[in-house]
Amino acid sequence: MRLPRRSGPAVREATMESQAGDLTVPVSVFPTGWQAGLARGSKIKVLSAQLSGASPGVVSLPLRPKSAKFAVRSFFFAAPHEAAEPATAPERVPFVPMMPRPPAADQAPADRAPAVASEAGAQLAAVATKLTRIQPPRDTIRLEDRLFYCLQPPLETLLAGDHLDFPFHPFGYQFEGVAFLYPRVAAILADEMGLGKTMQAITAMRMLLRAGEIQSVLLVCPKPLVTNWLREFALWAPELPVTVIEGDQARRTWQWQLAAAPVKIANYELLQRDSASLDPTTLRFDLVVLDEAQRIKNRTGNTSQAVRGIDRRRSWALTGTPVENSPEDLVGIFEFLSPGYLTPGMKPRRMGQAVSDYILRRTKDKVLAELPPKMFRDAEIELTAQQRATYQMAEDEGVLRLTEMGEGATIQHVFELVLRLKQICNFDPATGHSAKLERLAADLEEVAASGRKAIVFSQWVDTLRQLAPRLAQFRPLEYHGRVPSGQRDGIINRFRDDPDCHVLLISYGTGGVGLNLQFAGYVFLFDRWWNPAVEDQAVNRAHRIGAAGPVTVTRFLALSTIEERIDQILRDKRELFDTVFSDVAHHSTGLSQSEIFGLFRLRSPHGPIDMAA
Amino acid sequence: MSHANSSTTWGFLTVLGCDEQGLIGGYLVLNQSGRPLEFHCTAPVKANRAQQILFGPTLEPYLYGEQIGQTLVSKASAAPSVVYTDVPPALALREFVEMPVALVLTDGEAAEPNDSPAAASPVWRVDRSHHLAGGVMFALGANRLAVAERHRADQQTILDRWQAAEAFDLAEPFGRIRDAIAEAQRPSRA
Repeated sequence: MRLPRRSGPAVREATMESQAGDLTVPVSVFPTGWQAGLARGSKIKVLSAQLSGASPGVVSLPLRPKSAKFAVRSFFFAAPHEAAEPATAPERVPFVPMMPRPPAADQAPADRAPAVASEAGAQLAAVATKLTRIQPPRDTIRLEDRLFYCLQPPLETLLAGDHLDFPFHPFGYQFEGVAFLYPRVAAILADEMGLGKTMQAITAMRMLLRAGEIQSVLLVCPKPLVTNWLREFALWAPELPVTVIEGDQARRTWQWQLAAAPVKIANYELLQRDSASLDPTTLRFDLVVLDEAQRIKNRTGNTSQAVRGIDRRRSWALTGTPVENSPEDLVGIFEFLSPGYLTPGMKPRRMGQAVSDYILRRTKDKVLAELPPKMFRDAEIELTAQQRATYQMAEDEGVLRLTEMGEGATIQHVFELVLRLKQICNFDPATGHSAKLERLAADLEEVAASGRKAIVFSQWVDTLRQLAPRLAQFRPLEYHGRVPSGQRDGIINRFRDDPDCHVLLISYGTGGVGLNLQFAGYVFLFDRWWNPAVEDQAVNRAHRIGAAGPVTVTRFLALSTIEERIDQILRDKRELFDTVFSDVAHHSTGLSQSEIFGLFRLRSPHGPIDMAA
Repeated sequence: MSHANSSTTWGFLTVLGCDEQGLIGGYLVLNQSGRPLEFHCTAPVKANRAQQILFGPTLEPYLYGEQIGQTLVSKASAAPSVVYTDVPPALALREFVEMPVALVLTDGEAAEPNDSPAAASPVWRVDRSHHLAGGVMFALGANRLAVAERHRADQQTILDRWQAAEAFDLAEPFGRIRDAIAEAQRPSRA
């Protein structure tokens, strides 16, 4: 076949003719090597372009160091005895089981709070609203020792944990007093009378003994107060065995050496007697406590030397009047606590700063809002005509005699005259008249009629003995130095319990300290003592914790007599001491030699009198 | 009331923050009468800037629990039955010690119930911050305690074995530690 040409007119004019053709395309296969080429891997050339430059730096932060890099200070404390009751006792203290106590209402409150009796323990911790922490004394140098006290539990917790029982729940300030004493090697507890120094000291001793920090205690007190201390120990620390040093020399020697007695009580006089025979190399106490520590204010006195001769680790002083006559009294007490710490002649303010960490003093008005008020009234007495005549004659004669003696007049001469005149103010020796007695009897009628009780203080036993028969209608009882010691407790008990006994006639010297007479609502100071501190002590026999109502204090003052002049000087001195010792030694000074001479406008042998009566 | 045996000791851990110095940790070991047996305190610890950034909200648990708490506990010779703390981040200590660690809650501590109804015991959030995202709160006597959610079994351990603590105010010892640290920070008196 011939294919038509694809050109225009020539194609239209051509005729169709066919022509057979062989279309078969000869195919022949022959190897080219392509299959093997396909199976071979491609050859790819990779070109790397450097886009990021140098490698980045790596910073490793030590976020979790394997070991701490800060310092740790460690303090280890000697393990105290465990809390279980028997084990808390020092090894040398044989504890006896707690004795059941009579109900509060049956007891004469003594150094205690009038609060509801508590079983202590957990209850104590529960009722305590304020926790009392022990603070290290400022003179504690070692940090470990300071931390030891910082880390102690509050007193309330310690007491509850050690199962220390109390017959009455103590006041918060009493816990503070215990916390003050507990860590101190040298301390003065100088609370005003009636705030419970006894209880605080006993509790601190008890805790130290039970913690094993001390094992032997010597308590030194005035002889009349020994039975009072025994009573208080039985009340506040009944499990502590207490030994009173007494009896003949052989017995006392044995008692002094008695190792099994954790608490020994001795009176000042006895200690003074025995001090020479005591062997300081074998007799040593962990704690010596002086009650009424003003007894050692005279550094050169035998009493002071006797107590200072006792070997001891701790020294505490209890006194409501750390300064009775002058700041030098404090120097005397510190010779026992820390010899040489105070020196004679120190300026009062500097002394006050130096002792501030050693002395704790609270007054009732500061800590006991709930204590009934104490009301003073000065009964100004006009002497009877007979008394006045006798008084005037005695004074005139006495002053004349002193004047004639000139430089030869001594303080004793003046003192004798003062005493003579004061006695006349009480009773006219010629006629027995007494304006004070008349006033006292009138007041006592009212006291007795109301069923109340009164205590009457005098400086002289003779005055008390003159009063007794003339106050017979009030069934007076007497408590003074001429009453045998063995009878004194019975007298106090009878005065408390016998509703017909309305009056206790009592001497400043014997009954001015240590007694708890808070059931008496009236105090009469029939004559005035030389310094107000002693008067305060006397008044506080009645005005103390447990007092059921207000205490009325009547101070008799014979007008236009030596009593009035003494009173004025003492008032002035109260103001002076209030200024100097605002907290440490509150208005507690007596008359100096110059002041006694000045009572009669005489010149002191050492110079003119500045402060005339 | 059951009492722990006589060798029972308790640990109390707190951390004080001092702006300038850093953190100071204190660790007190008491016997069951509350008397001190050991006291350990750290020098001031301060996180560096990197730690502050990278630990973020976990910084305090790290410092209080891992660094300070763990170090202090390791220094003590006595192994307490329970470690109490009054700072929530210190609960993180529990991840590093075997004994229970409990947070002593104070009245001011915020606590609100978790809504999770599936909790076996009440679960509370005590989240003054992120320290205790979940904590199990419970009472022991008058004390309110919390343990970490991850260690909720510690609650029963404490309740079963340490009822003696009921009588104690478990917040009280922290005041002692603070006083002691202040005392240790004072210039020497010698």
